[in-house]
Amino acid sequence: MLHDQQPLATDQQPPAPNLSLMTARLYDPLLKVYRNYTARVFLQAIITIWVVMTLTFVLVRLMPGNPVDVLVEQILTAEGISYQEAYDRIAASFNIDKDATPLDQYLQWLGDLLRLDLGTSITSPGTKVIDEIARFLPWTVFAVGTGLLISFVLGIFAGMPMAYYRGSKLDHILSFFSSFSTGVPNYIWGLLIIIGPGISWRWFDIGALRGTYDVGLTPGVNAEFILSALEHAALPVFTYIIAILGTWMLSMKSSTTGVLNEDYVNVAEARGLKERTVISSYVGRNAALPLFTQLTISIGFVLSSGVVVEEIFVYWGIGHLLFQSITVRDYTTLQGVVLLLTAVIVFSNLFADLTYGLLDPRVRVSGEK
Amino acid sequence: MAGSPMLKLLVSLPLDLLRGLYRFVHRLSTNKPGFVGFLGLLLYFFVTFIMPDFVEFDNEPKLDQIAGPIGSRIQLAVHRDNPQWDSLEALAGKTVGVVDQTGGPSFIEPWRDTLAIEKYRWTSRRQGPGIPAALTDLANKEIDGLLIFSKTVNQVIVEQEDAELRQLFQDNVIISNSTLGPPHLLGTDTQGRDIASHMVHGGQILILTALIGGVIATMIALFFGSLSALAGGFIDKFFTALANLFLAIPQFILLVVLAGIIRFDSTLYLGVIIGLLIWPALLRAIRAQVLSLRERDFVEAARSLGLSMNHIIFREILPNMSSYVLINLIFSITIAMYFQIGLVVLGLAPISDYTWGVMIYFGRSRGTLYNPDGASMALSPVLAIALFQVCLVLFARAVEEVFDPRLRSAG
Repeated sequence: MLHDQQPLATDQQPPAPNLSLMTARLYDPLLKVYRNYTARVFLQAIITIWVVMTLTFVLVRLMPGNPVDVLVEQILTAEGISYQEAYDRIAASFNIDKDATPLDQYLQWLGDLLRLDLGTSITSPGTKVIDEIARFLPWTVFAVGTGLLISFVLGIFAGMPMAYYRGSKLDHILSFFSSFSTGVPNYIWGLLIIIGPGISWRWFDIGALRGTYDVGLTPGVNAEFILSALEHAALPVFTYIIAILGTWMLSMKSSTTGVLNEDYVNVAEARGLKERTVISSYVGRNAALPLFTQLTISIGFVLSSGVVVEEIFVYWGIGHLLFQSITVRDYTTLQGVVLLLTAVIVFSNLFADLTYGLLDPRVRVSGEK
Repeated sequence: MAGSPMLKLLVSLPLDLLRGLYRFVHRLSTNKPGFVGFLGLLLYFFVTFIMPDFVEFDNEPKLDQIAGPIGSRIQLAVHRDNPQWDSLEALAGKTVGVVDQTGGPSFIEPWRDTLAIEKYRWTSRRQGPGIPAALTDLANKEIDGLLIFSKTVNQVIVEQEDAELRQLFQDNVIISNSTLGPPHLLGTDTQGRDIASHMVHGGQILILTALIGGVIATMIALFFGSLSALAGGFIDKFFTALANLFLAIPQFILLVVLAGIIRFDSTLYLGVIIGLLIWPALLRAIRAQVLSLRERDFVEAARSLGLSMNHIIFREILPNMSSYVLINLIFSITIAMYFQIGLVVLGLAPISDYTWGVMIYFGRSRGTLYNPDGASMALSPVLAIALFQVCLVLFARAVEEVFDPRLRSAG
């Protein structure tokens, strides 16, 4: 995995001989960057993000209908004015330059991005995209993060006994559960929660749990607000937990099964160490290591798959913003959200790549052979 | 004479296939959950591909059966003095009332000659003058029976705002037969249409779409994955980089954006798009598998025997991957299912075909999801999808466990 640790040889072979000296000089630092693992991974991440950005830019402009048309339709029926009148009025209120070609828009957008400026929303002028994202993202991060962490911990504790007592009744029951957990889509779990406990058994009032906190409360550090926020997040979080738990259980099971066959576990048992010590310090820790990488990688996946869940629970997170911006064709917001989600995925993968060697020294050793 | 080898083949091929199938099922039966999953999939196949030929799609809106609960049936209301009139036969020669735009008129059609039919007009959504007027006539013995849906009778009687009318109905009207007409096994939707018939017809396209998505993704992954593992070098680097690039894009979100661009004329077309989106993870898995198989002893042996590359690929490596490919195919079908139904639930996919996903979409948008009586409209497809996915996963796990313990431990 990490074939980077090879020391950079000073007498690397020079670039192809037919190149002139000048190109060789230009080429050399690039080559050096390429040979450095960390730099290379960073470079790849940046390129990936750029490709996705460009792709989104193109795709978004290929969408049929544009924000002006969407609104023109609305006021045409409402106010009964001529199309041109409506068009001019909407176009004037929008924050767009009608004459800019897509290429101009693209270059402008790239330039703004370099200054970390995601632009302003097309459909609600004056609202900065970054502010919109900052308004919606924390809720998603909160819900997804809590769900992911709780399911991770539960999965580790449920997966170990599955490996220890392979083939037992416990293993069968937990495996069966994990099939449900992994197979059933998360939004289907959400719908089941709404229909079962929510509507048929009336354990809680679904209608009151819409949004991210009770209407009328001011966000801030006070007990009422925090309690309300927790209440509203409970159902999405619970859905995420159920839907991801099975994956962690199975990963932990197969990881533990592998570790149980290792010599050092046999040795530890032969040394007469307490079973609890062997389980926690020898088996558990080693088995959980590869799962941390999976955890970082899955962040992006869960973030993006939460769109439907948020829509079902009417939980106002980033998925809600994305869905809204698609319906009204708010190009800039849409681009901003997709860019952000991609960046999260790319950087969480990057983080996993870079930290795995730190977490698990064996990887470094095996990479060096 | 020349026909005899041909004949032999004709006889032996189906036999071999049957024997193979028998062995497959036999070995699968050692894994109980997997066998259950397998039987479940067969059941799904039967319900969604064969039953639509026998069950008609109920497309006739009937106002009095709005979101009826499970097992709802048409009922016969008569005057309290005549409880013996408990069937349409018993009412021969009498006058029976029906309300238009409800299940009544079509139900009473076969008895048109023996009964006098009094038609009432349905006007408002719930308590229009239609049904109260009919019930008033019934209470005053102007008609002898009234065909109506149970839920509506209750609503009209119990929720009647006019106290005098309510008293009149409660004193005079009884239900003499509550099991007229075919039972709606899964209740009715917001338009009084039979949900069970929608369930039978709504799965085929979904399953086909998921299958198309899964097969396309698996084929791409299988071809380019094994190509890059076997060829190595630049090709390997290129496809790995491409797969990594695709993996970094939030795929479901890309699909959501794409759904805004491409007008999916057909749901099946959606399957192709999904297939083109979900191959990268699969490609990596298959590439890793081929890489590991390539180092196995039997491949080494074939290579040292000087057998051709074609032989090694098609005779040594691919057959040993068949169950692995099957497992990956099944998992990509579950992903394709996830993607397409997610899109439909968001309302971004075509709703021209009345699939399980569209039922959920309407169940949400028309509010039956939030009504315990009408929950069946959303609950039935939700359960159907959930169980289908579970069957797939159980089956895939069983294939993994029963047919390929070696691959699993190597992976």
